[in-house]
Amino acid sequence: GLLNPCGHITPEAPVVQLGSNFTAVCVLKEICMDYYHVNASYIFWKTNHVTVPSEQYTVINKTASSVTFTNISSLTTQLTCNIRTFGQIDQNVYGIRIISGYPPEKPKNLTCIVNEGKKMMCQWDPGKETHLDTDFTLKSEWATEKFADCKTKRSTPTSCTVEYSPVYFVNIEVWVEAENALGNATSDHIDFDPVDKVKPNPPRNLSVSNSEELSSILKLTWINSSIKNFIRLKYNIQYKTKDSSTWNQIPPEDTASTRSSFTVQDLKPFTEYVFRIRSMQEDGKGFWSDWSEEARGITYEDRPSKAPSFWYKIRPSHAHGYRSVQLVWKALPPFEANGKILDYEVTLTRWKSHLQNYTVNDTELVANLTNDRYVATLTARNLVGRSDASVLTIPAYDFQGTRPITDLKAFPKDNMLWVEWTVPNESVSKYILEWCVLSDKSPCVPDWQQEDGTIHHTYLRGDLVESKCYLITVTPVYADGPGSPESTKAYLKQARPSKGPTVRTKKVGKNEAVLEWDQLPVDVQNGFIRNYTIFYRTIIGNETAVNVDSSHTEYTLSSLTSDTLYMVRMAAYTDEGGKDGPEFTFTTPKFAQGEIEAIVVPVCLAFLLITLLGVLFCFNKRDLIKKHIWPNVPDPSKSHIAQWSPHTPPGHNFNSKNQMYSDGNFTDVSVVEIEANAKKPFQEDLKSLDPFKKEKINTEGHSSGIGGSSCMSSSRPSISSSDENESAQNTASTVQYSTVVHSGYRHQVPSVQVFSRSESTQPLLDSEERPEDLQLVDSVDGDGILPRQQYFKQNCSQHETSPDISHFERSKQVSSVNEEDFVRLKQQQILDHISQSCGSGQMKMFPEISATDAFGPATEGQKESFETVGTEAVIDEGMPKSYLPQTVRRGGYMPQ
Amino acid sequence: MKVLAAELCLPPGVVPLLLVLHWKHGAGSPLPIAPLNATCATRHPCHSNLMNQIRNQLAQLNGSANALYILYYTAQGEPFPNNLDKLCGPNVTDFPPFHANGTEKDRLVELYRVIAYLGASLGNITRDQKVLNPNALGLHSKLNATADVMRGLLSNVLCRLCSKYHVGHVDVAYGPDTSGKDVFQKKKLGCQLLGKYKQVIAVVAQAF
Repeated sequence: GLLNPCGHITPEAPVVQLGSNFTAVCVLKEICMDYYHVNASYIFWKTNHVTVPSEQYTVINKTASSVTFTNISSLTTQLTCNIRTFGQIDQNVYGIRIISGYPPEKPKNLTCIVNEGKKMMCQWDPGKETHLDTDFTLKSEWATEKFADCKTKRSTPTSCTVEYSPVYFVNIEVWVEAENALGNATSDHIDFDPVDKVKPNPPRNLSVSNSEELSSILKLTWINSSIKNFIRLKYNIQYKTKDSSTWNQIPPEDTASTRSSFTVQDLKPFTEYVFRIRSMQEDGKGFWSDWSEEARGITYEDRPSKAPSFWYKIRPSHAHGYRSVQLVWKALPPFEANGKILDYEVTLTRWKSHLQNYTVNDTELVANLTNDRYVATLTARNLVGRSDASVLTIPAYDFQGTRPITDLKAFPKDNMLWVEWTVPNESVSKYILEWCVLSDKSPCVPDWQQEDGTIHHTYLRGDLVESKCYLITVTPVYADGPGSPESTKAYLKQARPSKGPTVRTKKVGKNEAVLEWDQLPVDVQNGFIRNYTIFYRTIIGNETAVNVDSSHTEYTLSSLTSDTLYMVRMAAYTDEGGKDGPEFTFTTPKFAQGEIEAIVVPVCLAFLLITLLGVLFCFNKRDLIKKHIWPNVPDPSKSHIAQWSPHTPPGHNFNSKNQMYSDGNFTDVSVVEIEANAKKPFQEDLKSLDPFKKEKINTEGHSSGIGGSSCMSSSRPSISSSDENESAQNTASTVQYSTVVHSGYRHQVPSVQVFSRSESTQPLLDSEERPEDLQLVDSVDGDGILPRQQYFKQNCSQHETSPDISHFERSKQVSSVNEEDFVRLKQQQILDHISQSCGSGQMKMFPEISATDAFGPATEGQKESFETVGTEAVIDEGMPKSYLPQTVRRGGYMPQ
Repeated sequence: MKVLAAELCLPPGVVPLLLVLHWKHGAGSPLPIAPLNATCATRHPCHSNLMNQIRNQLAQLNGSANALYILYYTAQGEPFPNNLDKLCGPNVTDFPPFHANGTEKDRLVELYRVIAYLGASLGNITRDQKVLNPNALGLHSKLNATADVMRGLLSNVLCRLCSKYHVGHVDVAYGPDTSGKDVFQKKKLGCQLLGKYKQVIAVVAQAF
């Protein structure tokens, strides 16, 4: 079927306008109709393999059928004519491609340009996209002849470069014709002289030369393009300094005519400038040329336009009366140096005399000056001349700067560190600003700059670094010398601290903890520390944050839980943010400090108090206790009845008192049972009470006579016991072999317990003869008639408490010496003493002592007998302690 | 001597061709202008600034004539540069006269003849130089540029004559044909013509 189709479609290759209607007709061949037994009504249409609805078909006649499309919207459509043969087989008869698009619009904005030395090029706006192959033809002609058409290339359908060379000064008419399958369009004709569309070649060989006479001018020369031969040109000249980015332009009216050189004025001396130039037709028609290549030139030198910044520093000097002064100055910036600075001249003047001159190539000079006031001047020199002089007053050694500036502030702005201050009332010659980086690692190496005395704010002209703390000092300089400096600190740009503070505990209590930390070193601060935040938490608890002022270095966390592990860390904040320090853990104790002591100490004290009270109670009630534990058993060994006999008479000398005993109170007479073996248990008992008892007992053992017995009673404390009560008890318990009692011994009544001489002896009998003696004692005791006795009583009661300590001391001495002789002697002394001062701690001794006392002065014999007894006792030492035989044998009462 | 009339309003590209063709037939002295009532039609209206453009074109030609002359004899090599008087003297026969003191119309007609003559001669020189000095590209370029300017000048002059003076055509005469001459003669005739051109164009430029 393809080689010999059964029919054909008309039109064969349709191009239709988008949106328009289109009708195609399919005509079948007779031979096919016969072969397949079909006619035009069997025809059906497909577009892009999709059957077209039969409503669009029209059967024209037996062989032809048409299809109509309205509002074509597809750019390319494949249309086929088909027949259905034998009722089921679809067969393609013919196919065409419908191409859609738009006719060209009228080209607009036709413009042409003639690049000097090249052919003319014109361009235009082609208008709406046609979707079809559209040819653009640039046509051009003179009034007298036509030029060849310029056909566009497919890659650049909107411009065309003509083949012929441009001929200036002849008007040419140019237009564009656009054409495609749907139509054509022609642009407006433009008529122009090509010279008015020319873009000259840029001037070339631009060169710059300076003038030794004038440091502010540079002369430019260049070569114009050849178009200058028949058209007049004007120029643009631009220049800038070497490092600048913006161009300055020479006023156009100065360069409005054809030329090949120009002198640029008002330039800075010794400055490198860059120039460029371009040209165009003088009347402004056409186009500016491209810029020429840049050319550079340096203006000639001029004398320095400004005096250098000048300052000084005093260095420590060892020479007395001299100081080392470092004069420093800043190299002039190029725009003030106006040339290469060859050297500096420094003069130093003291008191308007003694001028010293220095020529220095460097920017500092160290001079050894006296402590006087100096005036220094500085000038800079270049090839052309000298600068004005900077004058600096170096005050005398003892000069004190005053009149500082006030309200010094430093702050960053526009990536610079600005300094601002309030000017002093007095006129300031200049200000010196010094600054350095504060660091813990490196020393402060100051940089400086000088500012005019008329300003009150400036910025630091140095290579400042962010995150560094700058210490800035401003010193006003007056005519007579520098004022006092003022300082402040600032950052060019703050940052977060590079390290956080390390927190630790200073003290940890049960419910609180005192945290402390060190101020961050300035090197890691990176800004002003505005505040700290303490974060603390338990293992399970939420974190709590506390803000702390930056001036603090410790903080107390309160309301903590006891016996708990806490984790705490700290962050330091600058204006730019914060940084956490390391975490620190601590555990609160279970008890607060002193809490244990507060419990233990009172308990101990209470215990001690109770113990003491118990002991006191025991002592107070010892008689009672003792009676319950150790019944008073009379000690037969202490019986010295025998001794009493010789001394009885003195008692009988009291004749005056005889009537006192006449009452015959002593009615009951107890009988002493002397048992030798009864003594031993008693002694053992005593021993168990006190180790000193033994000695005492020994002493007692050696005592003889009633005096010894009585003295033993009274001197009891001096022997061994520190306990007066015990002594008294012992005394009380001193076994009397014979006691006159009112009732049984177990129910002794101390006030009425009166010793009596044994009724079994002579004296007792004697006493019995004069019972008034005892009676007197009784009555005295009861009535207190006898002043002397009363005195003794009082005295002794006092001695019961304190003075006995001395006795004790003494007794200790005695015991430590442990020499029987001495003891004896001492005992005697003590006895004397006691008899004089104290008498006895026991009331029951009283009668005895008072009697002794009373007898003492009267009878020598008695005293002697005491001594004798003592001597005897000493002699008796080493004898068996069985007192009964002793007393009996040695002067005992029995033989006598 | 043969005189041909250069028809105006010829199809593009025809005028130079005719000039060259006419020149082949020999140079001729100028003849009176053709009848003034001849049809005068241009492709589009002539510009009003024609005289200014003509002056500029003459200045342009005058400005480049000497350079072309030097370039030419330099390119020919010895003996030309050192024997300019003998070899390059402006001894051109039948060169159209130009009267600087005539009316503008006369001057324009004479200018037309001069430029037509020069243009045709320049065409011959260019053709010969491409053969004789094929590597002298600068000279070729300059010759072409000059010929182009002359073409433009002729257009302007015709436009002016037509639009203002209704002169439909001007009879022109051309110089001798050099095609049959030997190489030296070709070079010598070319050098003489350029010398003449340099001389005449200065006068003509001055006249407008």
